[in-house]
Amino acid sequence: MAVCTGCSLLCDDIEVTLESGRIARTKNLCRKGLGRFRSLYSERASPRADGSEVDVGDAISRAAEILSGAKRPLLFGWSNSTLEAQQAGIALARKLGGVIDDTSSFCQGPLMELVIRGQMPTGTLDDVRNFGDTLIYWGSDPTSSHPRHMSRFSYFPRGEKLQKGFEEDRTAFAVDVRESPTAKIVADGYFQIPPGGDAEFIEAILSVLDGKMPKVQDKKRMISFVTTLKKAKMGFIFPGLGLVYSLKDRLDLFSQLVARLNEGVPFRVIPMVGHYNMRGFNQTLFEQTGGINQVSFADGEARRGQENGIISALDSCDAALVVGSDPVSSLPAAFARKLAKIPVVVMDPHRNLTADLARVVIPTALSGLEAGGAALRMDGVRVELAPVVEGASPSDAEVLARIREVV
Amino acid sequence: MVGAMEIYQLTPKINCKKCGLPTCMAFAVALLAKEKNIEDCTPLLEPKYEAKLKKLREVMAPLASASETGLIIHDEKCYGCGNCVVACPVNVANDPRGSAIGLGPKSDKVILMVEDGVVKCLNPKECRRFGPNRIMCNLCTSTCPSKAIEFV
Amino acid sequence: MAELSVLVVTFRDIFQSEAQEAGRYGEEYRKASALILLDRGDADRAGIKDGSAVTVASDAGSVVVNAGVDQESHPGVAFMPNSPWSNQLVSGQVGPSKIPEFKRIEARLSSASGPVLKIEELLLGIVQG
Ligand code: SF4
Ligand code: SF4
Ligand code: SF4
Ligand code: SF4
Repeated sequence: MAVCTGCSLLCDDIEVTLESGRIARTKNLCRKGLGRFRSLYSERASPRADGSEVDVGDAISRAAEILSGAKRPLLFGWSNSTLEAQQAGIALARKLGGVIDDTSSFCQGPLMELVIRGQMPTGTLDDVRNFGDTLIYWGSDPTSSHPRHMSRFSYFPRGEKLQKGFEEDRTAFAVDVRESPTAKIVADGYFQIPPGGDAEFIEAILSVLDGKMPKVQDKKRMISFVTTLKKAKMGFIFPGLGLVYSLKDRLDLFSQLVARLNEGVPFRVIPMVGHYNMRGFNQTLFEQTGGINQVSFADGEARRGQENGIISALDSCDAALVVGSDPVSSLPAAFARKLAKIPVVVMDPHRNLTADLARVVIPTALSGLEAGGAALRMDGVRVELAPVVEGASPSDAEVLARIREVV
Repeated sequence: MVGAMEIYQLTPKINCKKCGLPTCMAFAVALLAKEKNIEDCTPLLEPKYEAKLKKLREVMAPLASASETGLIIHDEKCYGCGNCVVACPVNVANDPRGSAIGLGPKSDKVILMVEDGVVKCLNPKECRRFGPNRIMCNLCTSTCPSKAIEFV
Repeated sequence: MAELSVLVVTFRDIFQSEAQEAGRYGEEYRKASALILLDRGDADRAGIKDGSAVTVASDAGSVVVNAGVDQESHPGVAFMPNSPWSNQLVSGQVGPSKIPEFKRIEARLSSASGPVLKIEELLLGIVQG
């Protein structure tokens, strides 16, 4: 059995058939996961420094030179690396007196912070499968982003207390701007909201909970929705980027809703983390520094602050190490442009836009396929990864350790 | 999905009865029901109907791959999400430790499973839509996000 | 075509994710990414045909992508797969949360000012801009 690192579900029931060392057939991988497995054989990165092909050793030395020469290096990425690589990355940031941040900074970070700090009731996906009878996919579309979420854990499987499965035992809702594939599956449970309409939707639920008339068009439907929520034996909310981006600074409104629901029945929250080990990075950094992301080690002391988040740090950092991430693709062009202006070192299994403009590229093993380690699933459950095939490149953890030796 | 009318348009439309049926329309219906093969219409094999024959083979191709239960899989639409695998009552009954609880199948008695990112149909005869006690089960199609499974 | 104002919301699509894994430089990824999905009524009113190229412009920038017409109705709202193409439109201004506005972009659609750029060309624009 292999583990898929295509998303933060880390499906561990993947069967792989090898033919002369190459993956020939797979079972149980979804289309997205299959894409990850096949990426073994496409667009692999090759070592480069200052515009020329070099060997990995030279690329590592050049990387170390750039990073130790920087006053305030930014170490970014991490959500596509193993826990071991994340540890090594934090150690390197500490030694360099640099800034460390991950993709959660402009993604699920604000919500994940509440979960990790214990300020938001949460549970595991196994709890969802066994006990979750009332589900809300909120601003998330697992069918597209975490394709096996509904079949492995949340909606379709039979559970300990839910032997009849979805037909009778579970009720699912989707709250979304877009009638996504998930919204189509839950059919009558879909609530369409306008862009940015999440706060109003929360207020409407709170009104009903207070025994007041909700300020929405279809009052009857809203009341019956809230009645269902109040009858849950164990409810789960799966918030996606849709909710986080819409609420932004008003996330407390969501906390308030969860707290209110919990006065009556247990309602848990599992954020729909995208990359396979974002949760792992947030948790590891939190344990070591008290911050889940956006930490600076300048003057030998760990300090958390927004100025260390990639969005702000791009104005103050004078070099960057990017690991397993492609911020030039995923950031708004204005920020990608700032990154293009400083020397960048990229560690990645694949060629990407950030690698294309980097000073140094160090190819690395694809974790879970060419290198082992461990990772935390979106719900915090630890999953061990073992290599499936032999690769030519060192793992992230190995490269980071070698850089740390020489800086 | 193709209908009898569309198939009829692709027959010679000469009602010669060589296929053993009274009309080309009847042949079209029989073709759709898989009671006849394209080759049973011998005139269609004549050079002058070459274009029609080619088109007919094209539209019939997905039907040809349909299992005896009439289940067709459109690979290119499938997410490989496994919803159908986990929802299928036969999978659940035959594979309590695998698909019933959301995992990949652990039994070879399942009807549906996901291979190379796409759903596959293994034991079509087990399907509840098949056989003397058949029922109109539609759990695999109603749980699919993309209409990748279809019955004809 | 007539100008059309929409609120652009980015989203994720499994076929695009699959194409991205296969390679960011591939034609598949470009096809699955350089896309804006419109409400049928909006598209009809503006005279935009399914599959035609359009220029989408926001205060932050502009980009040429192919238009698609959705089955589902969502007047005034358009959906773009999250990608370097949609990121041309996202503002560099951020509020106190420091999270860019990826899912609520005011944009105007007009006739395509050129071809849909390849990803290498987008990158060049970023580096030179
Ligand atoms: S759901 Fe996620 S982890 Fe599971 S197979 Fe698909 S991509 Fe991989
Ligand atoms: S043999 Fe062909 S042409 Fe003749 S009746 Fe049958 S379908 Fe029509
Ligand atoms: S029709 Fe029912 S029994 Fe047949 S494959 Fe689909 S879900 Fe299974
Ligand atoms: S056929 Fe539909 S439900 Fe089954 S795996 Fe494919 S997309 Fe999912």
